[in-house]
Amino acid sequence: MSVSKRSTIIVEHLRRQQMLDNLAKGRRLDGRAFDEQRPLEIEVDVIKKANGSARVKLGNSEVIAGVKVETGEPFEGLEDKGALIVSGEVLPIASPHVEPGPPDEETVELARVVDRGIRESEMVDLGKLVLVPGKIVYTIFVDCSIVNADGNLFDATSYAAVSAILTAKIPILEMKDDKVVDTGSTMPMPVTTVPVSITQVRIGDAILVDPASEEEGCMDARITIDTTDEGYCALQKGFTGGFSPDQIRKAAETARIKGEQVRAKIKEATGFGR
Amino acid sequence: MNDIRRRYVIPGDKIAEGNYRPLMNVVKSGNALYATRIGIAETGRDGAKVIPLSGVYIPRVNDLVIGKITDHTSLSWEVDINSCFSAHLPASDVFGRDFSPARDDMSKHLAVGDMITARVAAFDRTRDPMLTLQDRDLGKIPRGELLKISPTRVPRLIGKRGSMIQTIEQATQTRVLIGQNGIVVVTGRTPEGVEMAVKAIRMVEEEAHTANLTQRIKVLLNVPDEPQGAPAASNEAQKTAEPAAAPADPAEGELEVESEK
Amino acid sequence: MTQTRNLIDENGKRTDGRTIDELRQVKITVGTVKNADGSAFIEFGKNKIVAAVYGPREVHPKHLAQSDRCVLRCRYHMSPFSTDTRKNPAPSRREVEISKVMREALEPAVMLEDYPRAAIDVFVEVLQSDGGSRCAGITAASVALADAGINMRDIVAACAAGKVDDKIVLDINDTEDKEGGADMPVAYMPTLGQITLMQLDGRLSPEQFNECLDKALVGCKMVYDIQRQALMQKYFGNETEVKEEQ
Repeated sequence: MSVSKRSTIIVEHLRRQQMLDNLAKGRRLDGRAFDEQRPLEIEVDVIKKANGSARVKLGNSEVIAGVKVETGEPFEGLEDKGALIVSGEVLPIASPHVEPGPPDEETVELARVVDRGIRESEMVDLGKLVLVPGKIVYTIFVDCSIVNADGNLFDATSYAAVSAILTAKIPILEMKDDKVVDTGSTMPMPVTTVPVSITQVRIGDAILVDPASEEEGCMDARITIDTTDEGYCALQKGFTGGFSPDQIRKAAETARIKGEQVRAKIKEATGFGR
Repeated sequence: MNDIRRRYVIPGDKIAEGNYRPLMNVVKSGNALYATRIGIAETGRDGAKVIPLSGVYIPRVNDLVIGKITDHTSLSWEVDINSCFSAHLPASDVFGRDFSPARDDMSKHLAVGDMITARVAAFDRTRDPMLTLQDRDLGKIPRGELLKISPTRVPRLIGKRGSMIQTIEQATQTRVLIGQNGIVVVTGRTPEGVEMAVKAIRMVEEEAHTANLTQRIKVLLNVPDEPQGAPAASNEAQKTAEPAAAPADPAEGELEVESEK
Repeated sequence: MTQTRNLIDENGKRTDGRTIDELRQVKITVGTVKNADGSAFIEFGKNKIVAAVYGPREVHPKHLAQSDRCVLRCRYHMSPFSTDTRKNPAPSRREVEISKVMREALEPAVMLEDYPRAAIDVFVEVLQSDGGSRCAGITAASVALADAGINMRDIVAACAAGKVDDKIVLDINDTEDKEGGADMPVAYMPTLGQITLMQLDGRLSPEQFNECLDKALVGCKMVYDIQRQALMQKYFGNETEVKEEQ
């Protein structure tokens, strides 16, 4: 059951007023332009035990993602495709508001939205990850550990997951006498495109790219839009306020333009397409 | 007080042996005193103590704190005072003895998110801190730039007899409200002055353990070093009766903890 | 544990090239988690572990609070990608036990009586595991507690020793843990001279037992020096002594 609640982050009225005054003048409290992201750092191959990994810092938000490759049965209805599962945990180290234990609705939403962006973009060519059609396929786990939470975990987690996938090396497996055998060599993950998530929030009339924690504490509504270089592939509107259709169209345009810049950064950091 | 010895310590470091009085953040074991915090150990005639450099705020009765209203029941507000416990402000403290939950609208007076200056009226090992607004200059804070510093740096920011904060206020033409709990609110005539004051406060926070800090703050704020009777800053209006109020003995003033008498 | 191959070569070198008395590379960075009251990141061999401390803070639910002391809560957890085969994110029996012995290893150092009715939370997340992750976790957690400014009697340093090829060696790595003869993790408060964690799995003769414990304690002292250096670096930079002002 989902129950309405007060935001865990209560922004002081002094700060809120300051933020609103600044937004009215076209400025954000940290000096950014409305469509400006915080500094983005991507470091790959940080976990040697994973098949692929990345650490992403978006401002002070920090996420580590790792790819693990196993074999298993295909999903029902997708017998000719490998399985891809993206999950995430906001670790209790990440903020004073996180309780250890099973994920709450916000963490579940976070993991599913990140999963959806990657899945619906058809980033990974899952058709190439089948060993015995209908029986044994590669199962790709992308696990994201959120280490420090300071706003916009949607984008930070998505960038970490995408970068980990781009750098992943898959063990080449073969079937011998009905058994899966590791050949000892690896192949790169079969990737077709690079999806990029751009999250924006509305505070009053202002629409801001990449909200910091304090801005999320003042937001009326949120929207996360995933793009590929061809167009849109996933979207999630969140929080209790609404957007006008014009605001949505504008946000979608921003997501494409910003997405292009981030895509270039991710490609550079992971060496993808080189 | 030239016989005070100072050194940097971490928990478990032996700071004195023999008959020293344990003052604060030390623990006695056998015939020796050991540090319990990271900080600067001082051993002198009075005893031994560690001036800590990290840690959350632990309330003490009579402390001036700056808090944030986070909730209210029908009888009291809950206030985040940046401490291990949230504090309570009884509605009767604001509305007086004839407070009636049915008649008086609490959130009209103080709403969730409002900031207040308050005094700790009561706190002990058995109950949460209780606040009061019954004093001069206490109550809702209408405006200002909000900062959070480590509560352990508050004595340093105040300085001996307020020397550090006076230096900052005078040079930047601002008013700096400091809660013992590490919350600071800066107001000023110009945004530039406020910005400069914030910069100076951040510097005090980061370099609290270093020597000659007042000196370097003066350099940062362009305060003349030897005020020869002239006002510290030429553009200053009135409140420069005691320019810069430099401590007579910086070696003592710099590391002395003002609030811990 | 049964051993199937030689883990120490004819030159006395171990699988990772160390001698029997050598510690793996240990690096500690203090204050890596911005939101936490105290934190530390430790690289101990191939272990990559982050420890964060929140508190003292209010206890939820409130009935868990104790009127005369603070409650210490500890969670040791491994990220799914930290191990050779993916680890299910739900806590395993192993993680539950390690969380407990870790709490008991840290508790003697923390002055819980100074914070009645409050809680101190210690979260240890293993991002990449190698042998000795509990020792590395305790070591990092202890630094994070000190960074949080919590009153402590001492720092807790931890290191394992063990038996490999019938020799007692310092600081068991992953391979030695899985294939070697015995593993003895020890946590120690160097100033107070108290052992606060000790476990053993594997067979040791009485002589080997004593030698193993001695060696683990030597390791703890090496680890302690690295902890101290990391804390000093964070708080005092390169200054090692207070400069008296003139």
